Amino acid sequence: MKLDGYPSVSLFGDLLRRQFPYFAGVMQKQEDSFGDHWLELFETELKSFFEYDKQRLDQAVRGYGKFALDSMKLQVKFQKTKEYENKTYEEAASEVYQNKEYMFDLYLPGILLSHYLWRHHFLQHIFFMEKFLPLVKNGDGKVFYDIGVGTGFYSKEMLTRTNMKGKGFDLSPHSLAHTLKLLSAHNVSDRYEPNLRDIIKEPVTPSADYLLNIEVLEHLEDPQTFLNSLAKMLKPGGYGLISAAINAPNADHIYLYRNPDEVAAQLTKAGFELVDSTVDAAYAPRLEGDLVPVNVAFIVARKEDE
Amino acid sequence: MYQNILDSITPVFRDVFDDPSLILTNELSANDVENWDSLNHITLIVELEALTGLTLSTDELVNLKNVGDFAQLLADKGYRG
Repeated sequence: MKLDGYPSVSLFGDLLRRQFPYFAGVMQKQEDSFGDHWLELFETELKSFFEYDKQRLDQAVRGYGKFALDSMKLQVKFQKTKEYENKTYEEAASEVYQNKEYMFDLYLPGILLSHYLWRHHFLQHIFFMEKFLPLVKNGDGKVFYDIGVGTGFYSKEMLTRTNMKGKGFDLSPHSLAHTLKLLSAHNVSDRYEPNLRDIIKEPVTPSADYLLNIEVLEHLEDPQTFLNSLAKMLKPGGYGLISAAINAPNADHIYLYRNPDEVAAQLTKAGFELVDSTVDAAYAPRLEGDLVPVNVAFIVARKEDE
Repeated sequence: MYQNILDSITPVFRDVFDDPSLILTNELSANDVENWDSLNHITLIVELEALTGLTLSTDELVNLKNVGDFAQLLADKGYRG
């Protein structure tokens, strides 16, 4: 790899190769596919968030490795059963979102790094930059809501690439804490307000100019009810970016979407107009009929009230 | 060391990596085998679980860096080859 000028990516690659030699090829594939653009973005993230701290980076590599192994093993099982493991939201919350050790050791570093190391996650990021951000422009005086902040990655992207203010909503205090840490590392936390809040039980008003809802729907038992509430949070004339994982088992994935059309149908029923979309697979199926994880992302607008 | 185990798991490695002449040593790792990537690594684990009847947890999987680690883990979990 051409890593001159990318010291953080170089260090990350060394640590990844040492702990998980079978994952090392992922770096080369990403560079081959996305070139210097990928290297520059990954370097900025690693440098800002990990600050050349080898111990923190090493822990994050371990978290990523565990997260990826966990997901891939579930994918093999899913190939046979074609179903996610039966789990309620409360069970997933207890096992994952409210479990501080699991969240900080494995889940959050795993997801943050997956934005750069997983093909479909990086393609979603490109879609955000090339298709969604031009609609937002510089966002002067506008506000966005990020519902289900996860690591805070997309809140950070909005704040660092526009002049907007943002509000994040999540049910996990650990996700919100991680988000603030990420935003502080990028010096944008002063334009952000984190909220520990269930938007179905406590609807949010007023509605926002822009919405982010990234890979949340598959974590819910009833995404349609959630989307019905979400639609009311977007101002007419505004835009939202809503994505979902398809055929992608994980420790906390409950609702199984089998194709992008199922997501589109729920969005439309909730009152969103579909403006644009991208559908990206994690990797090419090795055998015909293999189910591979897919990500679908929609840019949506709110239909005018009838 | 754990030669019985190495002998027992060799066919699985050869099959997964599509290399009938592959010789297992404790030090052999993904750095030495061309198509030992993440997908084949998971396939390897699933096939070894099927062979041994054992279930390997994620906490155990993260420590598997080479063939010797596989053999040690299987031995620790009672597999004798």
